[in-house]
Amino acid sequence: MYSNGVGHLPRSDPLRFSFLHSTRLENPPQFVSFRIRPGPAIRSSLNDTISERPAMSFYELLGIPETGSLVEIKQAYKQLARKYHPDVSPPGRAEEYTQAFIRVQEAYETLSDPRRRALYDRDMAKGVHLAFTARRRGIFDEQMEEKSEWKSRWQSQLSELKRKSMQKDSDDNMSWGARMRRERNQSS
Amino acid sequence: MAEPAYLVASDSETTGEEKSSSPFPDIAIGIDIGTSQCSVAVWSGSQVELVRNTRNQKLMRSYVTFKDEIPAGGVSNQLAHEYEMLSGAAIFNMKRLIGRVDTDPVVHASKSLPFLVQTLNIGVRPFIAALVKNMWRSTTPEEVLAIFLVELRAMAEVQLKRPVRNVVLTIPVSFSRFQITRIERACAMAGLQVLRLMPEPTAVALLYAQQQQQSVHENMGSGSEKIALIFNMGAGFCDVAVTATAGGVSQIKALAGTALGGEDILLNMMRHLLPDMDTHFSTRGIDEIRRMGLLRVATQDAIHKLSSQSSVQIDVDLGNGRKISKALGREEFEDVNWEIFEKCESLIKQCLHDAKVEVEDISDVILVGGCSNIPKLRNIITGVCKREIYNGINPLEAAVRGAALEGAVASGVNDPFGSLDLLTIQATPLSIGVRADGNSFVPIIHQNTTMPVRRDVIFTTVHDNQAEALIIVYEGDEKAMEKNHLLGYFKITGIPPALKGVPEINVCMDIDASNVLRVFAGVVMPGVQNPAGPVMEVRMPTVDDGHGWCAEALNRTYGSTLDLVTVQKKGAH
Repeated sequence: MYSNGVGHLPRSDPLRFSFLHSTRLENPPQFVSFRIRPGPAIRSSLNDTISERPAMSFYELLGIPETGSLVEIKQAYKQLARKYHPDVSPPGRAEEYTQAFIRVQEAYETLSDPRRRALYDRDMAKGVHLAFTARRRGIFDEQMEEKSEWKSRWQSQLSELKRKSMQKDSDDNMSWGARMRRERNQSS
Repeated sequence: MAEPAYLVASDSETTGEEKSSSPFPDIAIGIDIGTSQCSVAVWSGSQVELVRNTRNQKLMRSYVTFKDEIPAGGVSNQLAHEYEMLSGAAIFNMKRLIGRVDTDPVVHASKSLPFLVQTLNIGVRPFIAALVKNMWRSTTPEEVLAIFLVELRAMAEVQLKRPVRNVVLTIPVSFSRFQITRIERACAMAGLQVLRLMPEPTAVALLYAQQQQQSVHENMGSGSEKIALIFNMGAGFCDVAVTATAGGVSQIKALAGTALGGEDILLNMMRHLLPDMDTHFSTRGIDEIRRMGLLRVATQDAIHKLSSQSSVQIDVDLGNGRKISKALGREEFEDVNWEIFEKCESLIKQCLHDAKVEVEDISDVILVGGCSNIPKLRNIITGVCKREIYNGINPLEAAVRGAALEGAVASGVNDPFGSLDLLTIQATPLSIGVRADGNSFVPIIHQNTTMPVRRDVIFTTVHDNQAEALIIVYEGDEKAMEKNHLLGYFKITGIPPALKGVPEINVCMDIDASNVLRVFAGVVMPGVQNPAGPVMEVRMPTVDDGHGWCAEALNRTYGSTLDLVTVQKKGAH
């Protein structure tokens, strides 16, 4: 069923863009057939060099004042989602719209969480207001936080598992994998 | 603007061979393939309508019977009696079996069905067969589903008087990406192109979003955000979603689901009525199958009655001297199934917690699916959410109607009254991550992350001069890594010689607008700008049917020699 995908790889034909925008309705986008190759942005994220973005603050991105209420943030987010979500993007521009949507999503997730918004506002006040760099850092911090949470959960679960596997030892019916894991755990 | 005709042609129906002259060219139909029942709906130009079969049914039983030369499914076939479906010749519950290996508890629970489900318990696909003229004829869940989809497609084509190719299908929240590939495979076998696979409660959420938007238009209401909790329990699966809706946008805040449904309740009750059921039916001759059918029908009937009355008398003669005669009360029924109900309650609570939504914030509680009449479930839901159940949605048609709406939206249909100004912002139903830090599952994209999304995590080596590393990708949120779904694996090679902990191995996961998952991995040495060697790009899942034993085999062959650990940045938490 994916055999049709090739014909739909996004092309950068300006004619196509201008035309398709006005004919979207007669010309239904076949979302499933888009098989977007990840653009340079993904590859550059591996090098951690995403920075060629215009320096827009999250507030500017959502188009709300810095004093904007949660209700305004939610409204702005839903409006921008309707504009940028790849489901409603003109054919051939899904990748571009995906990038825009991901940025809007980040802005929304940061500003709709009081704790993260306060951190972001503090950074802005300090002058560290390049949205994208702040974002990168924010995400990384968050990931580390989540990870340490996960880790501690895993560790407690692991010790529970170890305890259980010790009990099972007497059964002498352990799988190869379980035996290898036990040996590794004991040697470390 | 010079040559619009060319551009239209290049972007319309992909193959260009199925040009339709109908006024509604190729609006994708919505299909809800239930474990027990299925239905088809389509946008008719002003609203969603369910498609009926030649017997005027909107809901059809999901089964395929193999008794004749040509297999026949529940769309076209007329059952002389319920027992016919239980004669061993019919395969049903394929949604519970598809994409599962023979070590899966759900497969084992299916062994008490009247057809043959054989397991070897080594992590390959189970052997499934129908009894045809006293012979077991083998088939697969994909084949059964495909036969069924062909019937559905034919029915829709007759009713709509046009070819049908594009579909939006609903799937359970707990389906792994591997199971999704099996569904897609069945659709491809039936000549259907999948535009979207929607988790069932998100389809219901879209229908709700449309209703809310319409009531705003009509009553000039506030149009502010409304939070709804959707609980869906059918024969095979239980799903929960929390959605935040405003202006036709349904933003999925959290999803939770498990393979638990009416079928489990039925099995519990059958075992309750006949405690030695499994030994009783183990030989699986024609007589045993017939007896199992008798018990199944009687139990099912009793469960249905207990939704409206407080007790029921069960009298069933199983032959060979076995008779069951019992008065069954609703309390007893609830006691026997307490574990299932408890699990439902914890799923709802978990979903609310994951959505970071307080009970007071919920505007509406929506209960759908074949189990929605069970009083105990209704009590649990109203108890947890402290709300009466929303009554503006038909519980048996909600998912398929939502799928049809999505089908119309995805087909680019416009409605002058704005009924299709709709959008679903989906979230990942399961976490996706890799094996690292010993034998741990390290999520890279967490559960309930808004899609499309791209996330990365940096890992490093565990041995000095480790030249290779194994990336094993799992999906799921089970505590034990082995219980999560293996999606694929590949090896990074050519890591430059260095002390352990020095090379940075960046694993990046990307889910694009079409829900395609790609995993990237590259090695970066400290102080060097470019990756050491080409970056790997792997579209997942890559595993095939025998994936149950892959992880074990990898572990046996490589142990920890190609392991990775996550990088803990200095000064970080």
